[in-house]
Amino acid sequence: MELNICHLYPDLLNLYGDRGNVVTLARRCEMRGIEVTVTGAPLGERVNLADFDLLFLGGGQDAEQGVLLDELHNWRGAEVKAAIEDGAVTLAICGGYQLLGRSYKTWDGKEMDCAGALDVISVGQKERMIGDYMFQWDEPGAPIHIVGFENHSAKTYLGNGVTPFGRVLAGHGNNGEDGTEGARYHNVFGTYSHGPLLPKNPKLADWLLRLALERKYGSAELESLDDTLEEAANAFMVARLANE
Amino acid sequence: MRRLRVILAILVCKAARWGLRVLGRGGTSVPGKLALRVCPDLLGALGRQVYTIVITGTNGKTTSARMLEQCLENGAIPAFANRSGANLLPGITAEFVAHATISGKMRLGHAIIECDEAAFRLAGPYLDAKVVLVTNVFRDQLDRFGEITHTLNSIRAGIEYSPNATVCINADCALCVGMVQGLPNPIRYFGVETALFDDGEDGMAEMARCPACSTAVVYDYKTYGHLGGYGCPDCAFTRPKADVAVTAVLEELPDTVRVEVQAGGERRHMTINLPGAYNIYNAAGVIAVAEVLNLGMSVTAAALAEFRGGFGRMERLNIGDVTVRMILVKNPIGCSQVLRYLGAMQAPMTLVICLNDRSGDGADVSWIWDVDAEILGQMGERLHTVYCSGIRADEVAVWMKYAGVDEGKIQVEHDTDKLLESVASSSVPVYVMPTYTAMLEVREKLAKQYGLSQFWE
Ligand SMILES: [Zn+2]
Repeated sequence: MELNICHLYPDLLNLYGDRGNVVTLARRCEMRGIEVTVTGAPLGERVNLADFDLLFLGGGQDAEQGVLLDELHNWRGAEVKAAIEDGAVTLAICGGYQLLGRSYKTWDGKEMDCAGALDVISVGQKERMIGDYMFQWDEPGAPIHIVGFENHSAKTYLGNGVTPFGRVLAGHGNNGEDGTEGARYHNVFGTYSHGPLLPKNPKLADWLLRLALERKYGSAELESLDDTLEEAANAFMVARLANE
Repeated sequence: MRRLRVILAILVCKAARWGLRVLGRGGTSVPGKLALRVCPDLLGALGRQVYTIVITGTNGKTTSARMLEQCLENGAIPAFANRSGANLLPGITAEFVAHATISGKMRLGHAIIECDEAAFRLAGPYLDAKVVLVTNVFRDQLDRFGEITHTLNSIRAGIEYSPNATVCINADCALCVGMVQGLPNPIRYFGVETALFDDGEDGMAEMARCPACSTAVVYDYKTYGHLGGYGCPDCAFTRPKADVAVTAVLEELPDTVRVEVQAGGERRHMTINLPGAYNIYNAAGVIAVAEVLNLGMSVTAAALAEFRGGFGRMERLNIGDVTVRMILVKNPIGCSQVLRYLGAMQAPMTLVICLNDRSGDGADVSWIWDVDAEILGQMGERLHTVYCSGIRADEVAVWMKYAGVDEGKIQVEHDTDKLLESVASSSVPVYVMPTYTAMLEVREKLAKQYGLSQFWE
C-alpha cells in the first residue's frame, strides 16, 4: 500500500510546528510498512492534486496571505476545491482552515474572498484567542478528547454546508460563542488546533490515514501501534485542561 | 525642579533595590518602575551621558553582549552591561541608576544594553545609542503573533529614535538588510562567506522575501535558517558586501571554534571561546561593533578567545566524574543549531531536554516541532539516552520518537531530583537543553543537591 501526501504551501503556511502533522502521518505509515511520499506544493508550483491521497495546509502569518490569496483566486483555489469534492482527505489548520472557507473579513472591515471550498466565514477581531484548548470529537463513536493550542485573531462561523468537527471543552474554538470547534465536510477536517495536532492525538492521525486508504483501496485495516508516549502526552493535557 | 526629580527617582530606585536585597530578593523591575513613576525621563537624563551600545535581534543577544563586554574590558574602556532578565524599560533604567551617583552623574562612560525589539522601541528615545547591533531576526515562540514584520518594524522604530547611531547589521539576514533600507544612519555589515555545514540545506523554511518587491529571494549559499548569500530575482536587492566577513572555519572543537576573519583590510585567524555556527555570527557582529569603537583587531581577537559565555550558554560543570554542559534553548532556529552541533560530536553522550511552558518559556510549545531533530535519530550509538523532563516532558518524548530516536533510549522523568540523580550517574558526558524557567529550576536543584552554589562563572 502507498499513500501520497501533499503539503500545500510549506513555504507560507508553516507556523507553530504544523509540519509535525505531516511528520506524524508519514511516520505512522512507515511504522506499518505503508509506503508514503510527501510532496511540497509551494507558492507558484503546480502539482496535480488528483495524484494525492492526503492534503495538508498549516497556519501562516497574516502578512503573507496576500500573495497566497492571489494564487487561490487565480487557479489553486479551484483545484483544491475540485480535489475536496472528489473526496481527498484534507487536514487544514488555522490559517489554512480559514483560507479554505468562503471569506475572511479583517477587523477593520476589509472583506476578502477565499477558496470557497468550505462553507465557513471568518471575521478578524482585535483580541486574539490564544492558549491550550481541548474539544470533544464524537465521530468515531466513543468520544475522543482532542488537545491542541489555538492562536487566532479571527472568529469562524459555520454555514449549513458543514458540521462542527468537535465541541469545545476548554478554550475558544471557532469563535468562543457557539461552542463549536473546526469544521467537517466530505473528508475535510478544518481546525484551529496547532500544537501540532496529530502527534498527541494519534487516534485522529489514524482516522485520517484510514479514510485515505479506504478511498484509495476500498477498505483498510490499520495495524495498531504502541501509542504509550502519544497517549501520555494527550492525557497530560486533558488532565491539565480539565482542572483549569 | 527636573534635577530634583532625577535625584529623587535615583534615591527611590536605589532604596528599593537595597530594600529588596535586605529581604533576600534580587530584581530590578520594581525599583525601576518606581523610579520611572517619579521621573519618567530618568533613563533619558542618565542615558544621554553615556556612549550606549544597544544589542537587539532574536538570537545571540546575551552571548554578543558578553563578548563585547570582554572586548571593552580588554580595551580598557570602563563599561557596564545589563544582565539577562533586566532587559525591559524598568530593568534597563535600574541598571543605569546602579551606575549613577546620587546626584545623577554616570560613573562609567559606556553601556552595553541588550534588549528585545519591543523594549528597544520604547527605550530608543532615551538611550540615544551610538551603536546598534542587530544580530538576526528569526521567528520566536515568545513572539506570540508569529509576525516577523512586527518585529522588524519595532527594530526600525528603535533605530529611527537613534539618529546618532552606527548600525551593525547581519548582511546574511535578508530581513535585517531589508529593514534598514532608506535609514540615514551609517551601516556596517557583518556576515559569513563560507558554508558552515557540509550537509547541505536544512529543512526549515524561514521566510525571506525581497523588501522591495516581495519576491522570494534566491540563494547562492545558505549558512543556516534563512541566512546566507541571496538576491532578488526580480530587482536589484541583493546581499550587501560585508565589512566584517568570516571567510573560513578552520577548526571546530567541543568548546571552541577557529575561524578566519576579514575586516578592515586585514585577514586573521581568531579563536571563539564557544562552539557552534550561531556563535560565529555573534563574534562577527561583535567584531563589527569593536571596529566602530576603534578597539583594534588584536584586542578584539584576544577578547573573543577568552570571554566566558553567559547564563545557560554552553556552561560547564562536573558532578563527580560526569561533565555536564548546559545550553539554553528558546526557539526553533537556536535549538536546531544546538542539535546540529551535538549531532556532529564524535564522542557518545546523554541528552537531557527540559521543556516548560510558563510565560518565560512561551506557553506554546509547538515550536519544538519546527526544530530539525531528525539528526538525533541519526546519531546511533553515540546517543546513549534522551531524558525528557520539564512540565511538558511527555510532549518531548513524542517529539523524540517522531524524530526517529529509538524508543528504548527515551526516558520520561518529570521529577527534577530523580533526573539529576540519573544525570550524575551517567557514564558519558551530559548535555542539558532546558528552556528558560526549566534552566532556573535545574540550576537551583544542582546548587542545593550538590552544594555547588556558584558553580557556573
Ligand atoms: Zn525585489
